[in-house]
Amino acid sequence: MFESLNEPVDVLTVFLDGRMRPLRFRWKGRVVRVSKVTGEWNRREGSSRLTFFSVEGAGSETYELCYDPRGPSWILCKAWSG
Amino acid sequence: MILLVDMDAFFASVEQMKHPHLRGQPVIVCGDPSRRGVVTAASYEARPTGVRAGMPLQEARRLCPHAHYVEGNPDVYVEISLRLLELYTTFTPDVEPFSVDEAFLGLKGSRDTLALATEWAREIQSAISERFHLGATIGVGPNKLIAKMASGVSKPRGLTPLDVEAFRRHFWPLPVREMWGVGEQLMGRLEKLGIRTVGDLAHAEAHVLEGAFGIIGPQLKEAAGGADDTPLVPYHQGVDPKSMGHEVTLSEDSRDATHLEGMVLRLSDQVSRRLRSEGFVGRTVSLKLRDSRFVTRLRQRTLNGFTADHRAIFSIARDLLREQWDGEPVRLIGVTVSQLERRPPEPQSELFRDETRRETLSSALDRVRDKLGESSLVPAGTLAHSSRLSHVPFGAVSPRSRPRGSAWPRS
Repeated sequence: MFESLNEPVDVLTVFLDGRMRPLRFRWKGRVVRVSKVTGEWNRREGSSRLTFFSVEGAGSETYELCYDPRGPSWILCKAWSG
Repeated sequence: MILLVDMDAFFASVEQMKHPHLRGQPVIVCGDPSRRGVVTAASYEARPTGVRAGMPLQEARRLCPHAHYVEGNPDVYVEISLRLLELYTTFTPDVEPFSVDEAFLGLKGSRDTLALATEWAREIQSAISERFHLGATIGVGPNKLIAKMASGVSKPRGLTPLDVEAFRRHFWPLPVREMWGVGEQLMGRLEKLGIRTVGDLAHAEAHVLEGAFGIIGPQLKEAAGGADDTPLVPYHQGVDPKSMGHEVTLSEDSRDATHLEGMVLRLSDQVSRRLRSEGFVGRTVSLKLRDSRFVTRLRQRTLNGFTADHRAIFSIARDLLREQWDGEPVRLIGVTVSQLERRPPEPQSELFRDETRRETLSSALDRVRDKLGESSLVPAGTLAHSSRLSHVPFGAVSPRSRPRGSAWPRS
């Protein structure tokens, strides 16, 4: 099942063709390489627009990341714990 | 010709799309899976166990203990729904959203034959699958009723074209509850008249139906024959909503009057905020209560004038709660405002003497929440419930007006 985390994480990000993509992030002392972005959506929080990504890691594990422009900061929202 | 595009197990399929390890697995979308609530959607893999949308989670867990229970994400569903509408408009400008996962599409001119409309439907299915990796079922027919009912014939990824004759051949032998709009209650009443199949309804005497059901009686007979002249209203033309409401299943059944009033206030505030943000005022306030025995009560009261003020809505909703709550633990509460009208440019002053002042205050509070988010303003009076609320509205009930924890069940 999904574990709710909501932890700030460092994310290596690329801006390409007007779009943002998370490439890698550091969590629990290891670097998770994003092999695939499987979903992207937005949510308004007042006048701010948060961007969410569902991603797969190299081992097919899945996560949900959120980019909050107010920081700016990245939050690891959820991880699939099997 | 009309197409009804119905996304297959939409919420669950979106979750499977977002999280590939869920593909091919039974998935049940709900609220917070660690709390109680109801099933929002079930994937096709979960459905053979009997799990259905609206079923209490506890029952779903009993029927399908091995399913993946996933918290729903309305932001994603709405975003994909809007993108789907954009896709449909590349096929035809006549697109009418019917729900978050259904839309009617109108095909005119050279495409206005069942065969050609079916070809277009096939292309739309392929485009949805290619761009969204989601399945859709499409019903095709000469009107909205037949398209909608055709979409239910074969799922998932079904494509069913029916003309009037084919509609009659398929549906007339089926039980009357297969008719779009016929629920359990209406079915029971029809059966008392000896009407058991759709064909029976089509052949029933119009005056008998009118005597039993009033004006809708003859309409039911027409519909059973496959007739429907409801126009398709493209969404760019816009249709005003008839009501706005919010409801919530409590995290645990409650007989705490203060807590219940806090919830009613929260819901009144949410409805009021939505009315204002979309430029409406309403006249009738309804309160829905479902208790631990699953007995549901719905009461409403109509104001003398129109309002979008949360205090006016709350005041009536609270009175309705006090009148209809019999002291049983409450499971679900909902507040709805109906009889909506576009908000007039000048404030209406018949209802409250200090209407203008309140509107100025509401407008200022709206601007703060527009900028900082819904939870940026917290009412001091509902802090007693803050641990149980994800979002606390402003303008709370004064705890001094009643002793804490007091109950006022109907005697």
